[in-house]
Amino acid sequence: MNRFMVLLLSLMMTSVFAHANSEHTLGTQADSMKSSGKTYHQSSSMIRKMHPEFMNHKRDKTLRQGVRTEEYSLKGCVSCHASKKDQSNDYHAIDASEQFCSTCHQKVAISVDCFGCHRTTPAEGDK
Amino acid sequence: MDSKINRRDFIKATTATTASVAALGAGITLTTYVNANENPVTNEKRWGMLVDTNRLTESDIDGMVTACQKENGWGNETHSTGDQKASWIKKIKVKDTATQRISNLALMCQHCEEPPCVDVCPTNASMKREDGIVLVDKHRCIGCRYCMMACPYDARSFVHEELTNQKEHMPRGKGTVEACTLCVHRVDKGEQPACVEAVDSDAVIFGDLLDVTSNIHQTLKRVQSTQIRADLNLNTGVRYSGI
Repeated sequence: MNRFMVLLLSLMMTSVFAHANSEHTLGTQADSMKSSGKTYHQSSSMIRKMHPEFMNHKRDKTLRQGVRTEEYSLKGCVSCHASKKDQSNDYHAIDASEQFCSTCHQKVAISVDCFGCHRTTPAEGDK
Repeated sequence: MDSKINRRDFIKATTATTASVAALGAGITLTTYVNANENPVTNEKRWGMLVDTNRLTESDIDGMVTACQKENGWGNETHSTGDQKASWIKKIKVKDTATQRISNLALMCQHCEEPPCVDVCPTNASMKREDGIVLVDKHRCIGCRYCMMACPYDARSFVHEELTNQKEHMPRGKGTVEACTLCVHRVDKGEQPACVEAVDSDAVIFGDLLDVTSNIHQTLKRVQSTQIRADLNLNTGVRYSGI
């Protein structure tokens, strides 16, 4: 029984990490940041696990109290993690299939409600 | 080791700890107040607007509406019909029945001090910021539209269709209520609302009603102004002169 559990767990872990490491969906700006050796998030496992809490907390502070810092703002997520389409300057919608948000969210079957209202690509022009 | 602490040592130790905590506290306060946007807004400010209807021309008002649409990205809903279309700011003509005098007003959310929309909201989505700006927290809005019923100024709109390509600073989505935000994203950066900037003259002025040095405070002190439906005692942030 124990052996079976170990096997099952290791299979689950591999599939999760295999997914989390698929770099083609990291986003254009995040990719270039990573290749230049810079890090934005202190720990990627932390942000993977806790980003809903961070963002929920942040959105209330921003909307209700006018605290407009960059950290954990959805605008910030989108501006780094959206990917450019091949041979064009346009971006894929970040919640589109195979893009940054949906690679994990589809897998765990949790819908992303953010983009019912929020813009899915970085704003053109002003930043 | 002597485990007894005498009274004098205890007082010394406690005083030292308190002093160091107080010093640390002061340090934190100093650093956090460097950037204004890191701090919650306070009720030391109350944002308001004064519209001089004598000087505001019809084309000025059209310019204000266009500027608002451009800034906040509303007005190009394709599937909504007539009444369903968003309207954050609109041109209103009022006519005195006795004298036939016509005034043109730009009417938007009046940012009441006692907002009826906030009173009726069942989910606390309708809210007033400490600095007097009335907003809809769309994260909480369930689209019941009680606030639209409660608003005496018909200032709010409901989004009837799915939207894409919203402005980055102004999320809008199907099933939520929306209204003038007094361009809160600009105000937090120290800028003026888009509609105020669109008017060339100072027929519309924006500022902090509580700041005695501000243009709006000085002007309100000098000229006769009124609140629309002042009888409701809502103490609006948007004031009008010349009507």
